[in-house]
Amino acid sequence: MGDTLPTADAIATLERVSYIYPRSERPALLNLDLSIPRGQILGVIGPTASGKTTLCLALNGIVPQFYGGRFFGRVTVAGLDTVDHPIYELARHVGMVFQDPETQIITASVEMEVAFALENLKLPAPEIRARVKAALEAVHLEDVAKKHPHSLSGGQQQRLAIASALAIRPELVVLDEPTSQLDPRSTEEVFTLVREISRSFGAAVVIASHAAEEMAATVDRLVVLYGGRITADGPADAIYSDLQLLGRAQLRPPDVTAAFFHLAARGLVGTGPLPTRLDDGIRALALLPKAKPFRPEAEPAFEPGALPILSLRGVSHTYWDGTRALDAVSVDIHRGDYTLILGQNGAGKSTLIKHFLNLLAPSSGQVLMDGKPVASYSVNEIAHRIGYVPQNPDRHLFNSTVEAEVSFSLRAADLPAAERARRVDDALEALDLVRHRRMHPFALSKGDRARVVVAAILVMEPEVLIFDEPTTGQDDWGARAILELTKGLHARGKTIVVVTHHLGLMPGYARRALVMGAGRILLDAPIRDAYHADAVLEQTFLKVTQVVALARASENENYALTPAELAASFA
Amino acid sequence: MNLPELQRVTRATFFSRLDFRTKLMAFAAVSAVAALWDNPVLGGILMVAVLGACLGVGVSLGYLGFMFRVMTPFFLLLLLTHGLFNVEYVLRLTGRAHLTPVLTIPASWPAIGGRFFSREGLLYGVNVVFKSMTFLLLIPLCVFTTDPNQLVVGLVRLRVPYKLAFVVSATLRFFPLIFGEIQAVMETQRLRGLALEDMGPIQRVRVYAKTSVPVILNALFKAQQIEVVMRAKAFSGDPDRTYLEDSAMRAPDWIFNAFLAAAFGAALWFYFSVGFGRFVG
Repeated sequence: MGDTLPTADAIATLERVSYIYPRSERPALLNLDLSIPRGQILGVIGPTASGKTTLCLALNGIVPQFYGGRFFGRVTVAGLDTVDHPIYELARHVGMVFQDPETQIITASVEMEVAFALENLKLPAPEIRARVKAALEAVHLEDVAKKHPHSLSGGQQQRLAIASALAIRPELVVLDEPTSQLDPRSTEEVFTLVREISRSFGAAVVIASHAAEEMAATVDRLVVLYGGRITADGPADAIYSDLQLLGRAQLRPPDVTAAFFHLAARGLVGTGPLPTRLDDGIRALALLPKAKPFRPEAEPAFEPGALPILSLRGVSHTYWDGTRALDAVSVDIHRGDYTLILGQNGAGKSTLIKHFLNLLAPSSGQVLMDGKPVASYSVNEIAHRIGYVPQNPDRHLFNSTVEAEVSFSLRAADLPAAERARRVDDALEALDLVRHRRMHPFALSKGDRARVVVAAILVMEPEVLIFDEPTTGQDDWGARAILELTKGLHARGKTIVVVTHHLGLMPGYARRALVMGAGRILLDAPIRDAYHADAVLEQTFLKVTQVVALARASENENYALTPAELAASFA
Repeated sequence: MNLPELQRVTRATFFSRLDFRTKLMAFAAVSAVAALWDNPVLGGILMVAVLGACLGVGVSLGYLGFMFRVMTPFFLLLLLTHGLFNVEYVLRLTGRAHLTPVLTIPASWPAIGGRFFSREGLLYGVNVVFKSMTFLLLIPLCVFTTDPNQLVVGLVRLRVPYKLAFVVSATLRFFPLIFGEIQAVMETQRLRGLALEDMGPIQRVRVYAKTSVPVILNALFKAQQIEVVMRAKAFSGDPDRTYLEDSAMRAPDWIFNAFLAAAFGAALWFYFSVGFGRFVG
């Protein structure tokens, strides 16, 4: 175990801390003992609902002062008890960065945003001006000081949130899932900044995140939370290379660690500590015999002769503010495809999907479903042909029971009662929701709510299912469960489209990848080719996965996609 | 939808550079004159002038069109009620014994059969519509041209408690979020086969009622998130907080205020002395 006991140079300590939210019986935190030394970067990992956010909020008194509930034990930050001192006083010592870039923005300009906390702390205007300038320079946003924060990219908005936290010159910076909604380039920006904060400002950093690769490369120490308890606490290398421990906590290791686990299983490397960082992995790989060229024949993306069900023909779309979101895009989605649409935030992925769903009309070009303009179909016809699963499931839920929610989509369908009941039962069964059928959808966990939405779509038996960023904010177990569902639906003949900028989980599911950037299709290729097209991925601010990077480092013609394939290429 | 544009215009104009307190003075003076004048021609001219000012400072046509579309049913209701039912008051204003019928409701209609739309009542309805439009246009003119922070500082300098001033500013920020949320929920309902255009009014009301569930829940969730963020940024509502950019009345503000005072005084004098702006049926 790491530094669990209070130490003299600790900026924060937790002693026997337990916490239960109001109207909850289950403790969100249970008997936590933790000491955070000054200057340390502490990572917090754990599955969904393990207590990561609650721990972060306890570090500046928001738990329990804002939420109420039952709180036991003692948290001190900079020597101040977080129960006895008001939040605004603790805010002098703790800078917070939250998950959603948009809801963190309070004011209407970048510099005012950074100044907001300083004004609340009653600093004189010249001092505020100097700190705003320094903080914006630290996060490289000095050139956009006068802009509206909403005009920034997601990565820039999170850097702005970090600048706002840094400006108060805190001794502790707490970041709660700061990159879960960001594309890989923006994620890298944020983690780079975290390392700079620690180095330049000497502040301790607590960061909770599912981004295993970036966490392994950044944090000094890791705490694993499970069911509100600390189940492990130690150096990041030791924890990320303990695959059994991670498995028990429903977590995944960095790709590089998984790859070396497979190599070890084949007896190709020793059973000592596995590398957890890419550069360590590449160095270790150089000691192995050269890998063989590896390029299995690509599975066809769709059955030969399959007709396109959805087509865009030279589609461009310009929004009213002049943003050209699609630029002469032509693409076919065939029956039986499992297609991945990749690209940075703002690449045009959502605009493209909205054209398929007839939610947007093209500025020029044609959108076709089964060869006919999609606009010629009724709303009901489109809904029964194309199912759309949004990133935020809560926008889909407006009925009082799960069963009513699932059957709602059939209200306009001309079906006998027995057929309706069969479809509802089948959908509930397929999504493991039978036991919840009488419950209110909002009484379920987020993962369960997402499954209710999928059931409500499945009941219409659409031919095409479009999943928009289905793994965002999910832990490894939740993400895998959703992707396994897509795999099952594909096996049952459905056409699947998944929109994402998280490349790591998709091999083994998708067959074809459309890489989008600046409103264009940069590449339409089998997933194996697309994942190895590093120059194309770079154009849309994506980067190759660690497995691909290892494969390329081992042999030019090594096109492995998964840790198991990489290990096989050395056999 | 581009939310910031809905909330704020960035064109640098004489009006947008004025202090928020001066804009509030303009809001009060023009509103008072609009309320005072019952003459539909003058009310129309005043409304067109405010509309011109909105366009001049850069309020988007898209926003103005949206506002007009939303308000159209209310305006029609105003015209109908004034045209049909506003009899006594209009008779008193015009000093006439009878109103001029424009359209008579068939006697066989229940409740309103035999009543007629009067020319004078309709004109008074037009005047009320112009008054309402003037008030509504003054809001984007004064608020959208002001940095939300300057809005807060301006209100605080007018001795409005800081917490209340911040709530006003936060509400303005929150409205576009709510509109965005409603739009997203309606979009997702459409994707489950709900075609509003094919529904009758009662069905539509039911759908709107259902829409309110996720909208309210998501709005409450976002409001709570924003409050948590603000607390984490040391927000306590303390009126003694400092400001990076303080509010300052400059020479153009004083000149504009003097002009406003003179124009308002003149409007009052002409109204009460020669009846300029009174209703003429």
